[in-house]
Amino acid sequence: MRNTAHVLRAAFAGAALAATAWVPAAAQDIHVGHLADYSGATSDVGTPYGQGVADTIAWVNANGGIGGRKIASETIDYSYQVPRAVSAYKGWAGRVVAIQGWGTADTEALVAFVSKDKIPYYSASYSAALTDPAGGSKADKPAPYNFFYGPSYSDAARAMVQWAAEDWKKKGGKGKPKYVHMGANHPYPNAPKAAAEAYAKELGFEVLPAIQFALTPGDYTAQCLTLKQAGANYAYLGNTAGSNISVLKACHAAGVKVQFLGNVWGMDENAMKAAGEAADGVVFPMRAGAIWNDNVPGMKLMQAISKMSDPSGTAYRPIHYLAGACTVLYMKEAMEWAANNGGVSGENIKKGMESRENWVPKGAEGVCKPSTWSAKDHRPTLEVDLYRASVKGSTDASVPELIKSGTIKMTKIATVKLPRKQEWLGW
Amino acid sequence: MTSVAYDRPSGDFKTSYAADTTIFPTRTSAAFCVAGIALVAAAPLYLDKYGLSILIQIGYLGIAALGLNILVGFTGQISIGHAVFFGFGAFASAYLNNNFGVPVFFAIPLAGLATTVVGLVFGIPAARLKGLYLAIATLAAQFILQDFFARASWFTGGVAGTPAESLTIFGYAFNTDARYLYVVLAYVVIMYLLATNLMRTRDGRALVAVRDHYLSAEMMGVNLTKYRTMSFGISSFYAGVGGALYAHYLGFVSVEGFTILFSIQFLAMIIIGGLGSIMGTLMGTAFMVLLPEAMTALAGQLAGSPIDRALGLNEGIAFLREMAIGAVIILFLIFEPDGLAHRWRQIRAYFKLYPFSY
Amino acid sequence: MDTQLLLQLLLNGLIVGALYGVVAMCFVLIYKASQVVNFAQGEFLLVGAWVCWWLLTTYPLPFYAAFLITLAFMMAFGLLLQVVVLRPLIGEPVISVIMVTIGLSIFFQALMKWMFGVFAKPFPPIFASQTVDVLGLQVQTVYVMSLAVSVLIMVGFAWFFKFSRMGLAMRAVAFDQQAAQSLGVSVRTVFALSWGISAMVSAVAGVVVGVVNGVSSALSFFGIKVFPAVILGGLDSIVGAVIGGIIVGLLENIAHYFDSQFLHWGNLYEVAPFYVLIVILMIWPYGLFGTKDIERV
Repeated sequence: MRNTAHVLRAAFAGAALAATAWVPAAAQDIHVGHLADYSGATSDVGTPYGQGVADTIAWVNANGGIGGRKIASETIDYSYQVPRAVSAYKGWAGRVVAIQGWGTADTEALVAFVSKDKIPYYSASYSAALTDPAGGSKADKPAPYNFFYGPSYSDAARAMVQWAAEDWKKKGGKGKPKYVHMGANHPYPNAPKAAAEAYAKELGFEVLPAIQFALTPGDYTAQCLTLKQAGANYAYLGNTAGSNISVLKACHAAGVKVQFLGNVWGMDENAMKAAGEAADGVVFPMRAGAIWNDNVPGMKLMQAISKMSDPSGTAYRPIHYLAGACTVLYMKEAMEWAANNGGVSGENIKKGMESRENWVPKGAEGVCKPSTWSAKDHRPTLEVDLYRASVKGSTDASVPELIKSGTIKMTKIATVKLPRKQEWLGW
Repeated sequence: MTSVAYDRPSGDFKTSYAADTTIFPTRTSAAFCVAGIALVAAAPLYLDKYGLSILIQIGYLGIAALGLNILVGFTGQISIGHAVFFGFGAFASAYLNNNFGVPVFFAIPLAGLATTVVGLVFGIPAARLKGLYLAIATLAAQFILQDFFARASWFTGGVAGTPAESLTIFGYAFNTDARYLYVVLAYVVIMYLLATNLMRTRDGRALVAVRDHYLSAEMMGVNLTKYRTMSFGISSFYAGVGGALYAHYLGFVSVEGFTILFSIQFLAMIIIGGLGSIMGTLMGTAFMVLLPEAMTALAGQLAGSPIDRALGLNEGIAFLREMAIGAVIILFLIFEPDGLAHRWRQIRAYFKLYPFSY
Repeated sequence: MDTQLLLQLLLNGLIVGALYGVVAMCFVLIYKASQVVNFAQGEFLLVGAWVCWWLLTTYPLPFYAAFLITLAFMMAFGLLLQVVVLRPLIGEPVISVIMVTIGLSIFFQALMKWMFGVFAKPFPPIFASQTVDVLGLQVQTVYVMSLAVSVLIMVGFAWFFKFSRMGLAMRAVAFDQQAAQSLGVSVRTVFALSWGISAMVSAVAGVVVGVVNGVSSALSFFGIKVFPAVILGGLDSIVGAVIGGIIVGLLENIAHYFDSQFLHWGNLYEVAPFYVLIVILMIWPYGLFGTKDIERV
C-alpha cells in the first residue's frame, strides 16, 4: 500500500513535469513576460499593479491586439525574491519580446541581461539607476532597454524636498529644517537616498542619520522614539504602504510631530484605510494624473480595462492599478509602432518607445501623463504631482464608501517642475 | 544458493578487505549507477530547457545536501544554518572571479575551500555543544551571517547583490543549460564518490562512531572535538561548492536567496531522503526540487476551475508551495521517518523476496 | 547621552520583554513536560491573533467574547496538534522532533498568509483613551494592558503549578516520567495538556501584540526571539524564561539606542539578541537558572 503510494507519487511528479514542459501558443502570438509580486514583501501594492497590467493586456487582446496578433503573457509570482526573478528571466530569454517587471532589486540585477538579450523591460521600479541608456552618468551601468512610467524615485524625492523647503518657509520655521530618510536597507528604499539627501543639503536642510525599518509590518516604536528625539521636521518613508502603515501608527501613538513624505508606493487608498488617522497629512507623489472615477476623459478607458476582470464594474481600483495600466498602454503603442517599422522585436519596441515626445496613449488623456523617452535619457517626466492624504474620522467602512463619504481624500497640493539637469541623470 | 537477480546472501560472507569496502556491493548496482549517469548525460537530447534546469538544480542542491547529510546523518550534529554556507560559497566564487580575475574553473573549488574555513570557524565552538543547543547556535549563525551578507558590500555587493560570470574553459562558455549540465554532472559524480569514499575510511567510521555513542567513541580514542570540527569543515566544503555552482548557473547572487526557509529545505531534503544514506540524499533533493514544480503544475491545471475560485489558488500558489514543504516534512516524519532510502530498500527487498516478503 | 530617549526605550523594552517572557514561558512549559523543542511557538501567537481578529471582524461580538472563544479554540488546537503530530514521534531522535515542529511552523505560517493575506490588519479599536502618563513618559494604554496581562499570566502560571492538581502532575512528569507514571499520573494527558495550555497562553500574547501593532506574519518572529530568551534563562526553568525574555527585550532596545546614537548600522536591534545568544552558548550554555546536564556513562 505504501509502495504503490510512493510509485504513484513519483509518477505524478513526472507527469506534472512533462505537462509543464508543453506550452500551447499560437505561432503569431506576441510573447511577453510578466513578473509580479502577489505574495511577497511588497504584495500589498504589487497586487493592484499586477492586476492592472494583466487587465490591460487582456483589454488589448480583446480590442484587436497588435495588428491582429494577440499578446500572450506569462505571469510569474516571484514573491519579491531576486533569485526567483532571475530564474524566471532565464526561462523567458529568447522567447519573449518584452517583459513587464516589478521590483528594484530584481530589475537592477537584470539590467545587464536585458541589455545583452535586447528585451525591453518595463519595471514598476522607478530607480534612477535605470534611467541612463548610454552610460556615463553616476548610474552603475547603462540601461538602454529599461523603461518605466512615472517620475523616478530620486526625482520624486527631490520634488518633495523642494516642496518641503517652501513649506518650511511658509510655516515660518526658524533656522535649518531637519530632513531624515527612513526605509529598509534594500535597493528599493535606498534608490533615492543619496539624491534626496544631497538635494536637501543643497537647499539648506540639516540631514540627520537615516533610520532603518524593514519592508515587513512590525513594531517600530523604537524607531519612532529615535525620530522624536532627533527632532526631524521632514521624514521620507522609502518603503511600501504595508510597512509604512506600521511606522505611521507607531509614531502617531508615540506623539511624533513630523511631516511624512512618501514615495509613489508609500500611500494609497488601502493604506489610508488601514492606518486611519495616522495617515492624515502624509504628502506623496503620484504617477497617474487622476484617481479612480475622477472626471477626466481617460477614465472611460480605465473603466473598460477594469471590466476585463470585474464585469460588474463596481470594483474600486487603487492608484497603482492605473499606473500599471498606463505602463502597458505605452508598451502597446510602442509595439504598434514596431509592427509598422520592421516587425515586433525587442530592438524595434525600444526604438518605438524613443520615437515620440510628450506622449499620451490614445484614450488615456488625463490619466497617463505626457512622457518622453529619448535615446540618451530614459526619464519620462520631471514634472511631479504631489498629493496630500487626508483622513478624518474612523475608517471602518470599505474603501469605496470611505471615498464617497469624504473620510478619505487625496488632494493635489502642488505640481513641482524640476529642470531636466544632465548631472541629475542616473542617481 | 540464490537464483534471483540480486546476488546478496543473508549474512556477511566477505573474504577480503577489498570486498568489504567496495562502494557497489553487486555488479548490478554498479551497472545501474553508470546507466543513471549516462541517462543524465544524454538528457539534452530528450529534455527541454525547463527539464534541464531542474536537473541542474538537483545537481548543485544535491551536493550541498550531501554535505549536510555528512554533518547530520553521519556525525549526528544538527545545523539549521546550511543556507548561509551555501551562500558564502556562492559569494566567494563570484568575489574571486570578479575582483581577482580567478577563472571560474578554479574559483569554484577555491570557494569551497573558503567556505571550509568559515565552517571550521563555526565548528570549533560548535563542537562543544550538543543536540538542541547546537541547533540553536546554528540558527543564530544563520541570522548573523545573513546580516553580514547584507552589510558587507565589499564582499557581497550588499543588498543589491553581485553578478557572477559563467564558466568558460579556453573560450568555450558553459552558459546554456545543456552545457552547464555536464559541469554539474561532473561535480556531482566527483563529490559523491568522495563522500562514499570518506565513509569507508577510518575517519568516516570515526564520524559514525561519534554519532552512535560518543562517550564510547571517546573512550576508544576518537577525538570528539577533532571529528566534530572536521565534520563541519567537510559539510561546509560541500555547501560551498554547491553554492559556487549555483552562482555561476544563475549569473547573479543575492543575499535574499539564503533565508532560513532555504536552510530548512536542506534539512528536509536529507530527512526525506534518509539520514545517513548517500543515495538517499539525491532522492530527497530530487523530491524537494520537484515538489514545488508539481504544486505549481497542479495549480496551473486547476486554474479557472471551481476549486481554484473557492480556494483562491491562483494568488496563493507561493503559499501553497511553502505549505507543501511543511506538510511533506511532517508527513514524512510521521509515516516514513527513515526516508526514501529506507522505502527504496523495502521495495527492493519486496521484489527480491517475493512471494515471501513479510 | 540622551537619558529621556534611553528611559523611553527601556520602558518599551520592559513591555516587549514581558511579552517575550510570556512566550518563553510557554516554550519552556512544553520543553519541561514533553522534552520537545517547539519551533512553532511563534505560530501559536499568529494563529491565535488571526482567529481573534477574524471573529471580531466577521461577527458582531464584544472583545471579551471573541477573546474567550479564541482561547478555547487554541486550547483545542494545541491538544489536537500534540495528539496527531507529536504523539507518533515519542522516542524518535531529537532532530526528527525538531524538524516536525519546524514543518508545523512553515505550514501554519503559509496557511495564515494564504487565508488572511500578507498585509497587516489592524484590530478594531478597543480602548477609549490612547495614552497614559507614566513617570512623565507617554505610554499607550494598550501597552499598559499588555504589561498587566503578562504579569497576570505569570502569576497564574505560578499558582497553577504550585497549587493545582494538574500543575503538580505536570511538575511530576517533568521531573521523572517513570516515577510519575508509576504513581498513576497519565503522562499522555500531561503532554497533551501542556501543549494546549502553551497554545492558549501564546494566543493571549499574540492577541495583545495584534491589538498593539496589528496582526501580520511578523508575529511568527516571536517564535525565533524566544530562543535567546530561553537559552539565557535556562531551558528548563520557567522563572528563567521570564527573566530571559525581559532581558532580551531590554537588550534589543539598548542595542537600538547605541545604534541610533553612535553606530548607525541600522538594524542592530534585530541581530543583537543573536550575538548575545552565541556568547551565552559559549560561556554559559545552561543559562541563568537551568540545570546542568551531567553525562553518565
